[in-house]
Amino acid sequence: MRQRALSTWLTTLSVMLGVGLAVAIMILGRESQSLFGQNDYGFDAIIGKKGSKMQLVLNTIYHMDVSPGNIPYDQYTRLLDPHLPKGVPMPADNYFKYVKIAEPTVVGDTLNGLYRIVGVKTSFFGFDEHGDPLKPEDVLDYRPGQTLEIADGRVFALNKFEAVVGSDIPRLTGNGIGTSFQATHTPASPGHPADIHMQHWTVVGVLAPTHTAIDRVVYIPLLSFYTIAEHGAGLIAQAKLRQGEAPPDVDPDSDADQPHPPDAKGIEHFSNYNFDTNDQTIHLNLERLPPEVWAISAILVQSRGGDTEQALEYDLNNSTDVMAVNPASVMREFFNTFLSPMQWLLLLICSLVTIVAAVGILVSIYNSVSARLKEIAIIRALGATRTTVLTLICIEAGLVALFGSILGLIAGHGVNALGAWYMSRNYGEALGYDYIEFLFEAAYIVAVIVLAVFAGLVPAMKAYRTPVATNLVVT
Amino acid sequence: MGLLIHKLKKTFVAPDGSSVPVIDLPELYLADGQQVALIGTSGSGKTTLLHMIAGILAPDSGNVVFGYDPNKPDSNEPVDLTTLSEAQRDVFRGRNIGYIFQTHHLLPGFTALENVLLGMSFTGRAHDRGWAQHLLAEVGLSDRLNYKPQKLSVGQQQRVAVARALANRPKLVLADEPTGALDASNAQQVLDLIRKLCTEVGSSLLLVSHDLNIARQLPRVLTLTEINQTNAHGAEGKASAAAVGSLR
Repeated sequence: MRQRALSTWLTTLSVMLGVGLAVAIMILGRESQSLFGQNDYGFDAIIGKKGSKMQLVLNTIYHMDVSPGNIPYDQYTRLLDPHLPKGVPMPADNYFKYVKIAEPTVVGDTLNGLYRIVGVKTSFFGFDEHGDPLKPEDVLDYRPGQTLEIADGRVFALNKFEAVVGSDIPRLTGNGIGTSFQATHTPASPGHPADIHMQHWTVVGVLAPTHTAIDRVVYIPLLSFYTIAEHGAGLIAQAKLRQGEAPPDVDPDSDADQPHPPDAKGIEHFSNYNFDTNDQTIHLNLERLPPEVWAISAILVQSRGGDTEQALEYDLNNSTDVMAVNPASVMREFFNTFLSPMQWLLLLICSLVTIVAAVGILVSIYNSVSARLKEIAIIRALGATRTTVLTLICIEAGLVALFGSILGLIAGHGVNALGAWYMSRNYGEALGYDYIEFLFEAAYIVAVIVLAVFAGLVPAMKAYRTPVATNLVVT
Repeated sequence: MGLLIHKLKKTFVAPDGSSVPVIDLPELYLADGQQVALIGTSGSGKTTLLHMIAGILAPDSGNVVFGYDPNKPDSNEPVDLTTLSEAQRDVFRGRNIGYIFQTHHLLPGFTALENVLLGMSFTGRAHDRGWAQHLLAEVGLSDRLNYKPQKLSVGQQQRVAVARALANRPKLVLADEPTGALDASNAQQVLDLIRKLCTEVGSSLLLVSHDLNIARQLPRVLTLTEINQTNAHGAEGKASAAAVGSLR
């Protein structure tokens, strides 16, 4: 090998590239299965507007696509009777028997047109309405055994214009603790300025990284979502429609609030709420927006186990406008339908890439042997047997494959680290590039080495048959 | 370790399909520690004979017997290379025969020391680094141990080759035109080193040369004719009509 160091390194490089590509493809396949075919959500049902199950899952978990639509807020109250607001009567069709934890979410606006703003309750982060920690068993997991943690600052007050942001948001937007922002309803487009709501939210907490789409989300109090005039107009219209009545004949834009000075008591009056400038609290106008007209985009549900999730799904799916989906089932079905066949294709590509790398070793060593017939004859003259020469060539092929494979393994994980970084930066969902399935990857490397040794047999046989006397003659 | 060559024959096939007899040697004996020069014209089969003695090339017939003692012709110790398998011949060569080629045939990727150690690599014995360094010191290259061949002069390269041939303390050293590529000064130095080291190690030496001035410096000189005969010369290089078989 030292005789032809450059050639050896180039061959090692080609093996590295081949193995690196194969490893990257394998990791990508594994991680895409893990990401899109995962069954390790911390909740087992999502309730939302009847329609596309995939759209509901993508929108609620991955914050992709648009919301399928809104469902009444009382759909949520039916799930958790102990948490019913005072004065709200217990609905007859409550599903408390199925549900352990439920968290409502509402979407519709973005930060700068890029990062989703989601309205949630303080319990989403493990705190009650007063900001005190809930019992761990009452907190929704975003992954099994993993709950959201506030790394910096505190949880928002449920009746203030405050926000808790995902871990990537300060880096991406500059909206760290103490900064304020406005919600964008519609980003600017040619000829149309951006539709930005009047209210200003202040960031009071930053979440610890979750390596999920959550890291790129801005969370605001559910209540504050209803303060927005256009939202109120929409909610009222939807409530009328649900009741079989015609929606009010108003232009939502004309209902938009404008900033104005507070009254003598320091209260600012808006369409949907009064804002107390003394303590910065929101007082929702419940006459205009009673809970019956509130709407939410989805509810994340952790069932009580057993078959309660299926029972909840069955009960809700019999209704006309609401559905419950198991995200793991939806994503697995998606994976099996679209990505699973791709796995076989990826496996085929991996195999071909590996074979190409082995052929590279064959060609390189064959050329090397052809150029080293004299050297082979010399070591034969020094006492090396044909078998020794054959063994040396096969060991050379094996060593090239071993070093190439190790470098390829590092390169493959490195490429996926870049991919993970890109995914995390652009989608919030990180690929696991550093996790090594030791047995699988070790078996793959062994397979590459065995293949290389077999490939090395071809030039080794040429070396084996090299006539010593002929090649020792000076030419 | 005496060497007896007996009725050794080798024929090559010419491109036109005809048989070309190259070696037809009735008998040749080399005693332990003896230093013999074999001279012959180009194409007379000198290299072919060395290859057959080394076991690199198999003869058509005849015997190459190592360890032969004319006083104990029935001893079990002698080894007839022609009865061994190719792999056995390779191992035997590695352990008992040192080979010096006309050009050094050093491996370019290895240093002088590594080239000498390489000569020890196929004997099944551990490398004797101290001996390798001693040999290189003996040939005047103690300050060139880590030089690669391309950094050495032609004469130095050939001296490394001499050291490599002696690396395993062989019983027999075969030298095929070892000074052929050297100028007169270097040729004399290399010849002196070969003879000195063979004496130090106790190796027999069979040196092939076309240069009578080189050959006649050895105690015994033989002539290999093109037609398969060897003739003896005296120590002073005078021609003798005696048959090889009578020169034991």
